[in-house]
Amino acid sequence: MSGRQREQPLRGRLTGLALIAPALVLLGAIYLWPMLGLGRMAFNETGSTGAMAPALSLATFRSLFEDPFTLETTWNSVWLSFVATLLALVLAYPLALFLHRTQSRFRSLLTVLAVAPMLVSGVVRVFGWLALLGDRGLINAALMGSGLTAQPTRLVYNYFGVTLGLAESLMPYMILALLAGFGRLDRACEEAAATLGAPPWRVFLRVTLPLTVPAIVLGFLLCFVLAMSAYITPKLLGGGRVFLLATEIFDHAITNANWPAAAALALYTLVLVLLLVAAYAALTRRAEA
Amino acid sequence: MQSIPPLSSRLSRRRFLAASSALALSGPAFAQNASVSGQITLMAYAGIFQDNYIRTVVEPFQRAFPNVKVNYTAGGTSAQMLGTIRAQKADPQVDIVIFDVSTSGIGNAEGLFSRITPEEAPSLAELYPEARAVGGPFGPAVTYDHLVLVFDRQNLTPPLTKLADLWRPDLRGLLAISAPPNIQGLAMTAMVTKMAGGDHVRSIDPGISKLRELAPSIQTYDPNPDGYTLILNGIVRVATGWNARAQLYSDETNGRLGVVLPPEGSVFQINTINIPEGAKNRAAAVAFVNYALSRAAQKAFTERMFYAPTNAQADVAPAALARTAASAENRARMIPVDWAEIAKVRDQWNNRWRREIISAR
Repeated sequence: MSGRQREQPLRGRLTGLALIAPALVLLGAIYLWPMLGLGRMAFNETGSTGAMAPALSLATFRSLFEDPFTLETTWNSVWLSFVATLLALVLAYPLALFLHRTQSRFRSLLTVLAVAPMLVSGVVRVFGWLALLGDRGLINAALMGSGLTAQPTRLVYNYFGVTLGLAESLMPYMILALLAGFGRLDRACEEAAATLGAPPWRVFLRVTLPLTVPAIVLGFLLCFVLAMSAYITPKLLGGGRVFLLATEIFDHAITNANWPAAAALALYTLVLVLLLVAAYAALTRRAEA
Repeated sequence: MQSIPPLSSRLSRRRFLAASSALALSGPAFAQNASVSGQITLMAYAGIFQDNYIRTVVEPFQRAFPNVKVNYTAGGTSAQMLGTIRAQKADPQVDIVIFDVSTSGIGNAEGLFSRITPEEAPSLAELYPEARAVGGPFGPAVTYDHLVLVFDRQNLTPPLTKLADLWRPDLRGLLAISAPPNIQGLAMTAMVTKMAGGDHVRSIDPGISKLRELAPSIQTYDPNPDGYTLILNGIVRVATGWNARAQLYSDETNGRLGVVLPPEGSVFQINTINIPEGAKNRAAAVAFVNYALSRAAQKAFTERMFYAPTNAQADVAPAALARTAASAENRARMIPVDWAEIAKVRDQWNNRWRREIISAR
């Protein structure tokens, strides 16, 4: 191999490095550095009066893991995120498939409409849900007005309300992820299956769905991570009854001023999400193989 | 029935400013001092607290000290303000902070605030002894407030008159009660414990047991944006609240929002005024603290916003005083709560609410 040929990959690597350098610097400044600060904070100590003292102690982690409530909130977070993401997938899949297939001249407009909720503040959307699902909301008014129920049915300020609100907030992300992944879906394969006599439901189950698995994997992963870190929806729709890792971190940091506890729980959540994502990726890789 | 016009419409701005200026300049506890100058940053609550504090305290102070410019910055919750002070420890950007005693106590213990002496701030000598004692050698109490029950006077018959009324069957599903770690929830624990014949210092068992019976009536344990708004929007009928804001909202809604200081007892919420250690303009900050604690400022703010004064010599109009916890009758109803001691059991109370009250059906 000539020197010139060796030089080119090296130059290519250097160019690549130069191109990603601004992003790396930015990430280091706004993500890595604060994360290091967070890591350091978790080892400080909080006295019985709430005063924080600089230390290199595992006391905060010890009390975190000794408290059975941590396990409970972990399970609440993982399960609620899983259910909300699944619901978002079930609701978003037909929409995304329609948007992928439609030949309408309004296709772009319809796509924008499908992801339009992202343009509205999460707080506003949650208050919309409260107006719909509250004890004096539209649905309860309809239920009681039609004589189906005598008392308001509790649809918010509980896990049901949070799951529904979270699924709705995840839908635009799910639709975008599915649309991005539907590129591998070849209409010719479905037509071939139909020509060979497969009814539409079998075509969907045996051809369409398997071909869109990579899109589902991508969408599920993205939305699950978003759900695990969601704060506004559980806070406003939970009514103080829904205890998740994100709401606990907020309470420690903003209500109790207990920064070491907030930092330790935030690190724990980060590690947990990384482990779950790694397990998910390993499982899907094995399934694909 | 003739409705009572809001207090804000009864006092014209010009009359109010003239009166407060005259009071400011006549106060013996501070003197106009041209040698104090520069800018100071005051961090405190946002919203109606900010609007009224600027009108009744900050603006008269600036007229008395024309060389000082006060920048009011809204700091969020008390814990967020403590966070700001912690973050700026090496280079403080705030000269004065007004926030809850449960967080200022943490700041005092962490060495974030400087001591204030009666020699530099003579108004300290005029405070109620407990208002001085609450901050130790650091910032003293600047306002007293207390937990009240607020209710929808228009749609609740018979009206709410006492704490025990919360257990009325017609209120099922219509309550907004802030749970711990919110300090309203902590105060409520002490109040219900006393109502049930207990003493929160010994054991909160009686209160927890009574609150568990209340669980089916509670629609939300985390009213957002707050209990007053949920009542005015018709979402709930009764909520917990703070007296000062509740009184002001009551005036602004022509009395639709009813306010009850429970005869079973209530708990003081205390705001302290502190100077961060290393504040850039300490001389002007001390002058402001002295003014904020003076009779004139305490009278003006109480009459405007119904926070009880901490200055024992403040000559507050009886009509305004009766709507605070400072009147003799109301003061007698207060349950003594040491917030420093509550901080030690806060997590334990919080856990009991979660496991025994919030999880109850």
